[in-house]
Amino acid sequence: MLMELLPIVLTVNGEKHELMVEPSWTLAYVIREKLGLFGTKIMCDEGECGSCTLLVDGKPMLSCLMLAIECEGRDILTIEGLADKITGELHPIQKTFVELSGMQCGTCTPGMILTAKALLDQNSNPTEDEVRETLAGNLCRCGNYKRITECVLAAAKIMRGEANG
Amino acid sequence: MAEEFSLVGKRLPRADALEKVNGQIRHVTDMELPRMLYAKFLRSPHAHAKITRIDTSRAEELPGVKCVLTHKNVPKVHPRRKLEYLLDETVHCAGEEVAAVAAETKEIAEEALDLIKVEYEVLPAVFDTEEATKPGAPLAHSEYGSSLYHGTDYNPVPRFTPEGWLTLQYGDVGKGFKQADYIVEGKYKTPRQYNCSPLPRAVICEWSGSELTCWADTQIALWASQDLATCLGLPQSKVRLISSPVIGGYGAKEPQKIATLVALLAKKTGRPVKAAFSRQEDFIGTMSRPSYETYGKIGVKKNGTITAMQTRMMQNWGRDCAYDSLILATSGGVTSSMLYRWQNSKWEGCNVITNTIESGALNGFGDPEAGFCIERLIDEAAEAIGMDPVEFRLKNCMRAGDRAIEVPNVVFGPAEWGILGPDLDSFPECIRRAAQKAEWKEKWKGWKTPVAVHGSKRRGIGIAIGTHHGALWQASATIKMNQDGTANVLTMGTEIGQGFKTAMIQVVAEALGLPFESVNVTMADTAVVPASMGNIGSEGTSSMITVAKLAADKVRHKLFQMAAESLGEKPENLEAKDGSIYIKAASERATSASEQKSRLGELESAKDRGETGISIASLCLAGFQITASANMPVPIIDEKTGKVVYCFSVAVTIAEVEVDTDTGELNVLKLSLANDCGRAINPQILENQVDMSVTLANGWVRSEDVIIDKNTGAMLNPNLLDYKIMTILDMPKMNDMQETLVEFPTPWGPFGAKGCSETGMCSPGPAIANAIYNAIGVRLRGAHLSPESILEALGK
Repeated sequence: MLMELLPIVLTVNGEKHELMVEPSWTLAYVIREKLGLFGTKIMCDEGECGSCTLLVDGKPMLSCLMLAIECEGRDILTIEGLADKITGELHPIQKTFVELSGMQCGTCTPGMILTAKALLDQNSNPTEDEVRETLAGNLCRCGNYKRITECVLAAAKIMRGEANG
Repeated sequence: MAEEFSLVGKRLPRADALEKVNGQIRHVTDMELPRMLYAKFLRSPHAHAKITRIDTSRAEELPGVKCVLTHKNVPKVHPRRKLEYLLDETVHCAGEEVAAVAAETKEIAEEALDLIKVEYEVLPAVFDTEEATKPGAPLAHSEYGSSLYHGTDYNPVPRFTPEGWLTLQYGDVGKGFKQADYIVEGKYKTPRQYNCSPLPRAVICEWSGSELTCWADTQIALWASQDLATCLGLPQSKVRLISSPVIGGYGAKEPQKIATLVALLAKKTGRPVKAAFSRQEDFIGTMSRPSYETYGKIGVKKNGTITAMQTRMMQNWGRDCAYDSLILATSGGVTSSMLYRWQNSKWEGCNVITNTIESGALNGFGDPEAGFCIERLIDEAAEAIGMDPVEFRLKNCMRAGDRAIEVPNVVFGPAEWGILGPDLDSFPECIRRAAQKAEWKEKWKGWKTPVAVHGSKRRGIGIAIGTHHGALWQASATIKMNQDGTANVLTMGTEIGQGFKTAMIQVVAEALGLPFESVNVTMADTAVVPASMGNIGSEGTSSMITVAKLAADKVRHKLFQMAAESLGEKPENLEAKDGSIYIKAASERATSASEQKSRLGELESAKDRGETGISIASLCLAGFQITASANMPVPIIDEKTGKVVYCFSVAVTIAEVEVDTDTGELNVLKLSLANDCGRAINPQILENQVDMSVTLANGWVRSEDVIIDKNTGAMLNPNLLDYKIMTILDMPKMNDMQETLVEFPTPWGPFGAKGCSETGMCSPGPAIANAIYNAIGVRLRGAHLSPESILEALGK
């Protein structure tokens, strides 16, 4: 059963990709299988876990529930694009996740980090409750919630210039 | 004075942190091979049925389909020596595999499943332990001939009674109950739990002539490779299983028979084949923690002495179990028989075969199942004599020198008692430390008195304790030194998220005097690494890192001998530090060792150069290839008693909860945790492991529920919306998750460390239940501490 392929241009991590996609392909599928960006993890593939979260125009979106064709002309950021492109320096949230062990198995980590980035871009001084509310849709089966909260709050401090990164 | 370590005990970043934050880590799910085919599985819609006809012709004709397997064309073998066949003519559970398809794309494989015609003769099915054991009830596994699993001809389990029960006794409970001032008893239930590994299982198989390579997402690579060899009739030397890194094991990350089916598809098509489960398939096609129904009875004297403890456990074994009777035996041998200093104890347990998802390992492996019953009942015993529940546990918890037994003895015999190691004096300390963190003395207001009452909201506090073994299985490791002075550890262990790789590097680098960056770990590649049982039973540190430390000690011995010759000094006067070996007194003066003065195979004299140290790189270049291996040491025997000394770890939870008596809503406000780890190799990672087991425990008793359709036996909620694991909002806030690591070094493990990642699973459930009782004054004895069960208990 062959579906019609449609041409689209996806802007991922600042790079434009010309692709032929089936209308039914999800953004998560295209990012992983067609662009080879396996940093986007799929835990459920039905919008229940938050692990495939990407930033689309700066907003956290579940990429397993978005169609790739919806994303033409939008700015997509995956975990691979978060560190500084030129220097390779990690984003403060990535740094604190490394230093404080914000991850265990690592499946939820990309989605957690990107969701937290969207929060800190809007609110550089969130309360613990605000961090918890923001991450409520990202499941961590390793139960690393306490450490993840610590990492996000520590990263906020770095981003405010109150701590060294 | 505490020993000084350069790496052990430090809160170092994980060795795998970078690839986990930048998206570079790759798993089997992410792998693609040239010309690869994709496998999908047809699953039974019936809980118990005989396949009377199966027609695959239309599926085989579909363009792109390369192979279809059914019970007719696969070997008639028992995977992992279980009851089932690889593909069976009779299915025993909704979701059991009926056929396997390999095709050019996943979509074609899925389409082919719809074209396979199967006719079934539906057989009567049983789903719960009560109905399965009623006289005259249909047998879930009619070919087996009994409702209780008690071994097979090809897999005998000698300690079962003829009726199908395992038992373990100490003393005489009849006498013990006569001596008691009070007797408390009750029936309790514990729920099933799905492991919910964040990435569903995936397998790739590829043949090269008669040699098979299998990439599988498994925490027990050895078992998986043995099973492939047995089922396919291959020598183990021709099966290479690679399993690293694995995503979130929690006990059940194993390919099971899927690996064999994929290997057969790859053999028949001559192409590599991949199977990657969907979340739903992972729910119904794998295994879950078994549910239990337990009767317990405790006799207690007014002074708090426990005179007798009797338990009778019926485990819902499901249609099969990859672990035979080991989970049951853990419930009975460990928690039911050892947790307290019962003067007399008697345990009986059985595996009830039902037409449900097979049972399997999940964090805690039987001990949480027993603990969730026993620790609720213990609370009733303490209340019966009016003793503070913390004091009651302090008085009665097991400790160093008390009797102990290990699980294989319970299953296979002889059922001889050993003793607990000296590290177990940690238990009272854990209780005291948790009580301090919880501010128990301020908050506990006595039996039937909540911590606070505000309208319909009532606060309560409760304690529970738990234990799990801390070292058990066989293991071996090899250290391979490279010519630049760096080291590779070869181990069957793998990184499943628990921090195994990081802890391994910290221990081996510490033992060799190398920097952290100079040690790397080659994990779970059966063609390369020596055998170990793998990452089960919290064995990462206690077995596999133990043997790596022993191998590193041997390597250090060899290096010291070479260095002694080069430096003109006795080996006992040397020390390894910062990548070099120095004469002890000289290292105080920070004399640096020259870089690589030796040539390949030739050892230079550092002494002649007037140096007091030599770099390990220089020694390795001269030695060309330095390696050492070590196996798990023989059991430690206590000199006084002649008994085997066993290693267990313990953990304590004190929970503070708020219950809304109008809505049944349960809020777990604070968890004070004390975990006995022998020594914390990396406290930061270990605290994360404590949080992991505690969060799993919360999900298990509060919200996770494998709901089985009473008519079809199918799981009704195989998705993460209806199967509710804990979210960040369900768990206490940062300062209300209080982990305390208690360090009483064990004689077993590396630098005194022991396995403890699963022990934390045992006590949160009953601690929350006991806190709910303190809040609302009604005991919950059912499987879940849900709002519905709280309202029901309140008669609402």
